Amino acid sequence: MAIIEQPSGPLELARVGGVTPQVTAGVFRRPVSATGWRAWVFTVDHKKLGIMYAVAAFFFFIVGGLEALLIRLQLAQPGGKVLSASVYNQMFTMHATTMIFLFVMPMAAGFANYFVPLQIGARDVAFPRINSFGLWAFVFGGILLNLSWFLGGGADGGWFMYAPNSGVQFSPGHGIDFWVMALLITGIASLTGSINLIVTLLNMRAPGMKLMRMPIFSWMILVVQFLLVFAVPVITVALVLLSFQRTFGAQFFQVPAGADPLLWQHLFWIFGHPEVYILVLPSFGIVSEVLPVFSHKPLFGYPFVVFSGAAIGFMGWGVWAHHMFASGLGPISVAVFSVTTMFIAVPTGVKIINWIGTMWGGKLSFTTAMLFAIGLVTQFTIGGLSGVTHAVSPSDTQQTDTYWIVAHFHYVLFGGAVFGIFAGFYYWWPKIFGRLLNEKLGKWNFWTMVVGMNLTFGPMHIAGLQGQPRRMYNYQAGYGFAFWNMLESIGSLILAIGVLLFVINAVRTNLKPADAPLDPWDARSLEWMTASPPKEHNFDRIPQVRALDEFFHRKYAENHETGEITQIATAEQLLADDEANGDKHLHMPSPSFWPIVLAFGLPVIGLGVIYKTYLLAAIGGLIAIAGSYGWATEPSVAAPEDFDPPASGTASKELAPLG
Amino acid sequence: MAALAGGVLVLAGCGTRQSIFEPRGDAATRINNLQVPVFIVAGVVGVIVFAAVGYVAFRFRDRPGRTIPSQTHGKKVVELTLTGLSAAILIAIVLPTVSTILSLARTPKDALVVRVTGQQWWWEYTYQDVNGASGRPLVTSGEMVIPVKTKIQLEITSRDVIHSFWIPALNGKKDAVPGRVSPLWIEADKPGQYFGQCTEFCGLSHANMREKVIALNKADFDAWVANQSKPVNKPADAESAAGKGYASVAARCAACHQVDGLTDDAGAQINAKSDEQLVSGVAPNLTHLMTRSTFAGANFSLRTKECQDRLDKATPDEFGTEYLKGTSVECLDRPALEEWLRNAPGMKAMAPDPGPNGLRRGMPNLGLTEAQIDELIAYLSTLS
Repeated sequence: MAIIEQPSGPLELARVGGVTPQVTAGVFRRPVSATGWRAWVFTVDHKKLGIMYAVAAFFFFIVGGLEALLIRLQLAQPGGKVLSASVYNQMFTMHATTMIFLFVMPMAAGFANYFVPLQIGARDVAFPRINSFGLWAFVFGGILLNLSWFLGGGADGGWFMYAPNSGVQFSPGHGIDFWVMALLITGIASLTGSINLIVTLLNMRAPGMKLMRMPIFSWMILVVQFLLVFAVPVITVALVLLSFQRTFGAQFFQVPAGADPLLWQHLFWIFGHPEVYILVLPSFGIVSEVLPVFSHKPLFGYPFVVFSGAAIGFMGWGVWAHHMFASGLGPISVAVFSVTTMFIAVPTGVKIINWIGTMWGGKLSFTTAMLFAIGLVTQFTIGGLSGVTHAVSPSDTQQTDTYWIVAHFHYVLFGGAVFGIFAGFYYWWPKIFGRLLNEKLGKWNFWTMVVGMNLTFGPMHIAGLQGQPRRMYNYQAGYGFAFWNMLESIGSLILAIGVLLFVINAVRTNLKPADAPLDPWDARSLEWMTASPPKEHNFDRIPQVRALDEFFHRKYAENHETGEITQIATAEQLLADDEANGDKHLHMPSPSFWPIVLAFGLPVIGLGVIYKTYLLAAIGGLIAIAGSYGWATEPSVAAPEDFDPPASGTASKELAPLG
Repeated sequence: MAALAGGVLVLAGCGTRQSIFEPRGDAATRINNLQVPVFIVAGVVGVIVFAAVGYVAFRFRDRPGRTIPSQTHGKKVVELTLTGLSAAILIAIVLPTVSTILSLARTPKDALVVRVTGQQWWWEYTYQDVNGASGRPLVTSGEMVIPVKTKIQLEITSRDVIHSFWIPALNGKKDAVPGRVSPLWIEADKPGQYFGQCTEFCGLSHANMREKVIALNKADFDAWVANQSKPVNKPADAESAAGKGYASVAARCAACHQVDGLTDDAGAQINAKSDEQLVSGVAPNLTHLMTRSTFAGANFSLRTKECQDRLDKATPDEFGTEYLKGTSVECLDRPALEEWLRNAPGMKAMAPDPGPNGLRRGMPNLGLTEAQIDELIAYLSTLS
């Protein structure tokens, strides 16, 4: 129910510097619907955008998952005939690209969008229309990438897209062009989103919420947004160079013209390694919320978890060349990056220690959310430890580009990032939808996924140590790979069933009435201090924060001598109190269709560049300019005549000056 | 995790050709001596973490009557001790790591130098200090033949995209980057075959770019070199099948494939002009094709299963003699070679159609008749 604020009479604009225009350049009436599809498509509400981010990301998770199943089907036996070499190469390229850029990143963006404002006691993000733009740029980027399947085939150079194999000479189709344009567009989405969240997190915390009182999930999101702000421009530079080479005949990575192909690798991995932390830190944040709630204890060593997260954020920039140990860097560089890589294991280990410390001495309830969180702690540990074995660079020269590495990063990304995301689903579902996911089905969901993932990725360790290289559409019998590959393929089917159980659970749950208790988990942070689902303006009264775990401390009093905890209020009482004493003036922006217009211009430009149809690119550019112009001249709250019937309420409204 | 770590070490070692735990030479042994303790340490840490999680989950599970626990925010001592401990473990790993990196980087003295050149989708080996039949350094493809107990200095490079050279029993990987020459040394303790494959994704047929190193006793290696250095002969009878095959190779195959000793009617050496045909600019040198045991990027056996089995099962003492027998007419897997000549891109994924600049990546279907194929094989069989 996005922006239903109907202003009364001529608007008294809150002028905060500069002129806030009164008239929009819109040819259509401004969308103000509170219901129906328009309420979603044109919304600027962070919660609706968060849900749409998550739904779109989950859709791409299914797409990437089907690609993975085809890969496993092909590799189930030696000499598989399901996919041709060419299609297989496209499949693994698109699987990785989809899972990283279209699933984990936007899923984290979805969680961040939904929960950061709620966790810090804000009414929305700093720039709601930029938020809407970010979502649509991501969606259009994702569609553009997958359009390549229907227009001659996907990119076939691997997600790392090493030069010079990415050149026109070696990949003459348009797959890589689609890939470049789509990633540029999703990169724009990530960048705008990250700046938005940084501003939100630094400026819009509720009074009293010092940085060291900020919930840990919000902290990890803050770290990730800084990583994005610095990492995305690097890949953008690399993509622009590649695009100029493929489209306009530039020579950046052409060896005969004197280029060094390692330039691409440095650019890619300076982005690519921080990217790993971009993928996994949001999930670390989620389990750092879930473990304390279901242990009924605060997070063990909160400052250590915060600073180790920040330390990972800094150290993550000094390890990129460990992806290049075999590339011929020279022994000194290799030694340096080997050492830095080993020491990034320290802050990561700190997190594991603190998670176990959180559970130690607690009162553990094994809900599905908790199971996924513990699942992350254990499965990620396996991935972390196998990571240490290839920080040792001589040993890495044996392991790199084998299935040992595939096993490693799937334990990190599936056992880490994905398990965290599923913990988040089960933990926050009642907050988002007012409905509890079925716990029984949830436990089936969890155990099938644990078994499935270990059966899929566990044997990859062994196949890798036996020397099975990655990115092969085929392998021969007689190398000892066949048995393990068959196991992996069976495992992938079990994993798929696990995901399917979640889908069934989600659909069944949301067909039922919204009957979840207000505070089903006896939670600790601010997002639980409001209605479920939250009202459009999140909080009736902006909370005054006095402690970390503010919500818990409003519900419970602690006897500091005995350590005894007594309940002093229920969530319902706290909510009723807030409702009775709600703030009088709310700043809420109105929906807008300009962000989506601007975002739509981008893939049109992209298609124009891909097919060298510069007229089309120019049209895309015009659409984007029109979108920007309309956006810039649009007041953040709709004019009375945009409403039907025209607004005539009595509520006094002010304009949010930003966004 | 314990079972996994243990199982990994055991299972990865048996009945395989590319296991990273079966070093058969000095360089690979140094790596193995470093990696095994690291695997054990990682396994032990894993067991401890799993045990801790299991203990906590059981011991502190919610039971009737459990009250809300005291709200401890952490213990600095525990925190710092465990952080310090994990840093200490890593420092213990760092020291031998750095020393191994430096020891492996030292270039061996008096080594035999072999230039290893990758291109889509096969490897070429050039013996920089040995003159071949052409008078230039000896070139072979698919299989690298080396003497045992000798350090071989490899100069690894590429003619098109990035590849990576890897024989796990002899050393770790080194990428073949166009425009760069990267050093790597290998040494084999015993005569035998050592397997590997390209491990940097290099496009369409990456999976079919395989490697085989043949290690021979010094005497056998010298015999191999002596034979490789001879040019091929022209069949005496131009009207025989082999004679027609010779003409066919000269007229057709030699456009890309170099055969040292192949002459035109005037008796001049025919030099391949593969750079007019191929992106990489070079096709495999076929001069002594039948001394090899594989073809097409070491991807297919040139020998029948029976003959290849003899080679696979040969003891280190017998191995040299068996290998130097070469692929005789009886041993030749004729159907495989026929199939290749009939339709090469149907057998191995390649991009034989001219690309944006009119150049191919791989061998096209030549549209040969069965008679032409027979003649070609009759001639190729003589390239011993």
